[in-house]
Amino acid sequence: MLRIALQSLAHDRGKLVASIAGVAFAATLVFAQVGLYAGFLQSSSAVIRHVGGDVWVMARGTVVVDNGERLSAGSREIAAAHPCVERVRGLVLSFQALRKPNGSLEAVQIVGFEPSPKRVVPWAMARGLPQDLHAPMRVAVDRLDVEKLAIDGDPIGAELGIGRESVRVAAVTDGIRAFTLAPYVFAELDTARRLALLGADQAFYWVLDLARPECATDVVAAVDRHPDLVARRTDDFREMTETYWVAGSGAGAALGFSALLGLVVGVVIVGQTLYAVTKEHMRELATLKAIGASPAEIVSFVAWQAAFLALVGGGLGLGMAFGVRNLAVDAGLTIVLSGPVLGVGCGAVLMMCAVASLWSVRAVLALEAAEVFR
Amino acid sequence: MKRVLVRSEALEKTFGEGELETPVLKGVSVEVAAGELVLLMGPSGSGKTTLISILAGLLRPTAGNVELCGSVISELHEAEVTRVRRRHLGFVFQSYNLFPALTALDNIAEVLKLKGLPAREARERATRALTDVGLGERLHHRPGELSGGQKQRVAIARALAGDPALIMGDEVTAALDTHTALHVLEILRGQVSAERGILLVTHDKRLEQFADRVIEIEDGQISRVLPGGAGTGAAA
Repeated sequence: MLRIALQSLAHDRGKLVASIAGVAFAATLVFAQVGLYAGFLQSSSAVIRHVGGDVWVMARGTVVVDNGERLSAGSREIAAAHPCVERVRGLVLSFQALRKPNGSLEAVQIVGFEPSPKRVVPWAMARGLPQDLHAPMRVAVDRLDVEKLAIDGDPIGAELGIGRESVRVAAVTDGIRAFTLAPYVFAELDTARRLALLGADQAFYWVLDLARPECATDVVAAVDRHPDLVARRTDDFREMTETYWVAGSGAGAALGFSALLGLVVGVVIVGQTLYAVTKEHMRELATLKAIGASPAEIVSFVAWQAAFLALVGGGLGLGMAFGVRNLAVDAGLTIVLSGPVLGVGCGAVLMMCAVASLWSVRAVLALEAAEVFR
Repeated sequence: MKRVLVRSEALEKTFGEGELETPVLKGVSVEVAAGELVLLMGPSGSGKTTLISILAGLLRPTAGNVELCGSVISELHEAEVTRVRRRHLGFVFQSYNLFPALTALDNIAEVLKLKGLPAREARERATRALTDVGLGERLHHRPGELSGGQKQRVAIARALAGDPALIMGDEVTAALDTHTALHVLEILRGQVSAERGILLVTHDKRLEQFADRVIEIEDGQISRVLPGGAGTGAAA
């Protein structure tokens, strides 16, 4: 039945090309939207994922990494009190105003970190190295933000005014953009403290590396006894932040709706083609049924065609999605085409073709073999 | 004694219910044996298409029995009837019912594969069947590249390739000119053997010369059974 199905589908080249194009565009849309969603998730929690650690300690009431509050110097001792805590790393994540050469202000997000041999921050470099930020008042900005920050010429060595301080660009990151759209300015912790007007032992977060990850529950419980502090496992805080931005902002729903529209368009196009091909072959299919083909064999006529369209159209759509991803990089958008994203996309395309085939399946199941004599 | 391939007893078929109830067959008893070609003739609406559909196991009778190649199909489940058809029947139709995208060879081989033959054997038998009907040079032509007579010969080859005991046909010459129609019937007549019979529904009087018997049906009942040009006639 495979040969009958595919050759019948290929017989009308116009319909075949239109259908493959329909599936390909629908698949591109689905892959791109799901990839964008995954990209939004990643960028909203990028700092948490790359700074890492086992437990994050923060001011009580903090629900998203970007809206942390400064912690008192004494909080570090509270965070480090549990014997399972191996290391405490301070993190500054603070919005500040950057003065452009024309005098206007631009909100930037200072990311101040303690260097760690296990965790490299910043995590993607276009020019320079993270070690270039060791010197005082040195920062890294992203290549995509150079224009926004009104930096003329070579950004390396450019001087920026942040608050009352002056810093020099020592490195350029590669496509690290904040979900808040405020450009990231990476600096080591001491520089970040000065830019964020913090005292010598202050931070916005204490990131705890534990000797044994399984004692995270005890560490969280110990910190939570303090009235002003709360501790969260890193993965929990990452999920909270992603949910806050992607679900709370409506971005997830918008992307999901776009993907759904793509699927609906795909269902209509594929459904029309399969139904037209099936209707054109009703007499032949009735003949096969009369000769002795089982209902399953008759249904496989439609199923093979749907599978073919899903495979070829979906494959083309996947290729196009990779092209779109490369184009999107220049526009500052992150489309993540990871294994899970591809799995979801492929599943959606298969489901689309399966749904599209239902009208035809219904038609062939209702087909009476006696039609051959009418 | 000839083996009876299909036999019906007191067949009745009614379509619709209540006031719309329409009796189409009223107690029809017929049989076709191996070694004979039987024509089923009658005016439009006489019930001949309904009768052949029931004899082929494609429709259920309202009353009466049908025995097809040793199985009482009127008492079998649908799947079992399908197996009987797959094993014992071949069909030829007025409009050929060939897949336009497939070559003559594939139109036959794919059907044989559905019947359970391995691909290689299916293609060998399809080639042989097409050669037997004089289309050995047209194996790789699609239906659109063949004449009406050639298409009908492909359909006959498709029916023959499965080596059926009984071939059923519906107006197999209606779309053909006289010369081609007679040629097609010569081919069919040549396939009648001690193991095989043929039952054709037709309006075409030209075919009577090839038949052993002609069963005429009118208003859902057998009106006459006549000997054909090829036989001496027998009871319906």
